[in-house]
Amino acid sequence: MLKPEKMVKVALVGAKEQLDLASEILHRMNLLHVESLPETDYFKLGTPAERAGQISKSLLQVRSYISYLKLDPTKISVKRKFKKEEIENKLSQKLAEYQGEIGNRLDELKRINDGLKSIDAEISTIEPLKVLEIPPKLLKGYKTLKCFVGFVKADPVEEIRKITSNFDLVIKKFEDQFVIAVFVKAEESNEVYRILQGFGYKEIPVPDIEYETRISELTKMKEELLEKKKKIEIEIEELKLKESEIILAIEEYLSSEVDKAELPLKALVSKHTFVLVGYIPANSLEKFKKMLNGKGIIVEELSFEKEEVPPTKLNNPGFSKNFEVLSKTYAIPRYKEIDPTLLMAIFFPLFFGLMLGDMGYGLLIVATALYLKRIFKTEGWQKLLNIGLACGITSIFFGFIYGEFFGPFIAPEMKPSEVHFLGDLLAGLYAFNHGHPIFDRIEEFGIKALLFIVLMIGMFKMVWGFSMGFYNVFVEHGLKEAILEKGCWILGVLGLICAIFGFSYNLGIFTSPPPEGFGEIFPKNLFLNGNTVTEAKAVPLPIPGLVNGWEAGVNYFYILALPLVIIWFIIFLKAEIPKMGIFGVIMAVELLTWFGQIISYARLLAIGLSSVYLAFVFNYLGLKAGFEPGMAILPLAIVIMLLGHFVNFLLGILDPGLQSLRLHYVEFFTKFFEGGGREYTPFGRVKKFIEEGGE
Amino acid sequence: MVETALIESEAFIKGCAAIGAGLAVGLAGIGAGAGESGIGAAAVGAIAEDRGFLGLGLLFTVIPETIVIFGLVISLILMFAY
Repeated sequence: MLKPEKMVKVALVGAKEQLDLASEILHRMNLLHVESLPETDYFKLGTPAERAGQISKSLLQVRSYISYLKLDPTKISVKRKFKKEEIENKLSQKLAEYQGEIGNRLDELKRINDGLKSIDAEISTIEPLKVLEIPPKLLKGYKTLKCFVGFVKADPVEEIRKITSNFDLVIKKFEDQFVIAVFVKAEESNEVYRILQGFGYKEIPVPDIEYETRISELTKMKEELLEKKKKIEIEIEELKLKESEIILAIEEYLSSEVDKAELPLKALVSKHTFVLVGYIPANSLEKFKKMLNGKGIIVEELSFEKEEVPPTKLNNPGFSKNFEVLSKTYAIPRYKEIDPTLLMAIFFPLFFGLMLGDMGYGLLIVATALYLKRIFKTEGWQKLLNIGLACGITSIFFGFIYGEFFGPFIAPEMKPSEVHFLGDLLAGLYAFNHGHPIFDRIEEFGIKALLFIVLMIGMFKMVWGFSMGFYNVFVEHGLKEAILEKGCWILGVLGLICAIFGFSYNLGIFTSPPPEGFGEIFPKNLFLNGNTVTEAKAVPLPIPGLVNGWEAGVNYFYILALPLVIIWFIIFLKAEIPKMGIFGVIMAVELLTWFGQIISYARLLAIGLSSVYLAFVFNYLGLKAGFEPGMAILPLAIVIMLLGHFVNFLLGILDPGLQSLRLHYVEFFTKFFEGGGREYTPFGRVKKFIEEGGE
Repeated sequence: MVETALIESEAFIKGCAAIGAGLAVGLAGIGAGAGESGIGAAAVGAIAEDRGFLGLGLLFTVIPETIVIFGLVISLILMFAY
């Protein structure tokens, strides 16, 4: 959790003859992330096993069948796994069989398709010839005459006349060009041909028999071919049903064999020995050692140097594993870095719910996710839909708190039944609270309070992010770097937060009763000069020299902020001046960026509000359109509400999802998460169609 | 005489605050839209090359939206303060 899994670097050494055995075992264990090694004078890279070539060829053949048959291993559920020996025994027989059954059929299919294409091409050339209304036997077969038949772009008669008067020409319009038949003497044909070329002449082949006869002949041929094609397609479809699992199993078997045969390419080999180096998860070391030592291969644990980067194997428990797709989209954490997936698994749905916060939409999301989970069985989809499910559930939760079900039912000066189609029923649900939701985010105090709450969340996450950044830098570069790079910003942001509190305190948010503030959270006398809140309200931001009477606004929050900001500034200068020179001072403006990012958390309120008001408007319009005292056209009301809520629902998935993601990527991850790790890809594969053999 | 009374009247101030609030959100929206247009176009281009970029492209597109949020916060403050 929070950290990628601990890895150990191991070296495997054994006699060269055992490399095959080692690759067999390693592939089955699926644990070792093999590292490529540089060659030395004595140790050279190995050569792939001899069988690799043959296996690759068979694999290519099987894969081409798979792609022709459009088999998708992720979509096929396994009824029975094949034994490895079973595949091995059947392999050559099956390959020959497929060559005959699939390969030949596919070849045949290709021939038929080619035939169909040429028939279509010929039919399409006969159509323009028919327009000429000259029988085909008159268009060819002359001894002293030459006949040109084809398309031209314009009428060439004038040009031809310049050369000879002894010619005959028929021209007809066909679509956007002309069909032409020109009869000239054989000796003049070359010149005429040149002129015709100038008009974009394109020859049309003339059939030997009557057009209609030829067309019906061709149509008959086409029908025959189509029938054949259909038959073959049905046969292939039957084959696909019968053989799909075993073909995929063979593919899996051959891929594994290729992997194994090519392992020597990553090993260093001397005359009699081989060496393999790689990483394995620390908790599998014992099992790994026992397995290989028993076979006479020596496993040695190596220590890795500081600049070496082991591969990252994310280690997230159960539910949070679904969210790896989101954090990986940003970056793969480095080995020593904090892996933010778990935090994302908690906060992403929380933020989503906080924004959408509607029981109706939440239920719809849950229902949709559950339905889609049954259709899309691939791992990626399942994970994504699990995320959707979590978001739906938090939406329902917050929806209950906000009192929203396809929109709110409480509005100032209106009865629940006037603003919501289920108004009275919903109000009844909140009987424990006198018909009011637990937290009403559409009246004035609610908005203020929520704004403040989300900004608090922002401040909290800002400091938290920097703290984790501090930890990351501390682990990799030591305490001094950590303080210079992240620690100073923690102080700066804390100072900023104190200033924000001071500002809010001066506005009376912590001292006045609702709706001006939250009641008396802090005592009223936190002022340096002993003045009252009313006096301070005039100078919320007490900047000496800029604001008259600034003394009245100085409260203890500002006093607390001052040293924090000063210390931040000193450390900041210490960090930046050596790097950037004196102009590094300008970088202090960055503190304002963090202020902006805290404010940015206001989107948690804003996105939700927009969706609430949209829902409110659709409900209101619907009720006005459907019932007295309004238009009383019920179907119109239903259309308005269905359409409106559908649009709002789509927006309600897209926007909170994106904004929640953005709050993580931009406002949170940038404080600590750099990424750039390599993913742990162990040698071996998870078998889907083949049963794993024993030890 | 009449004008002074108008400017000092509470309704006038409230009206101005409301106009200001509207401008804050509206203008910020225009700005964010202008920013998003370029990013959106580039993102669509990238998605055309590689469909896997869809999620990241959408995400990039919403980044300038912060500006609207700033506008909204200002308008909320304006609405509540006056």
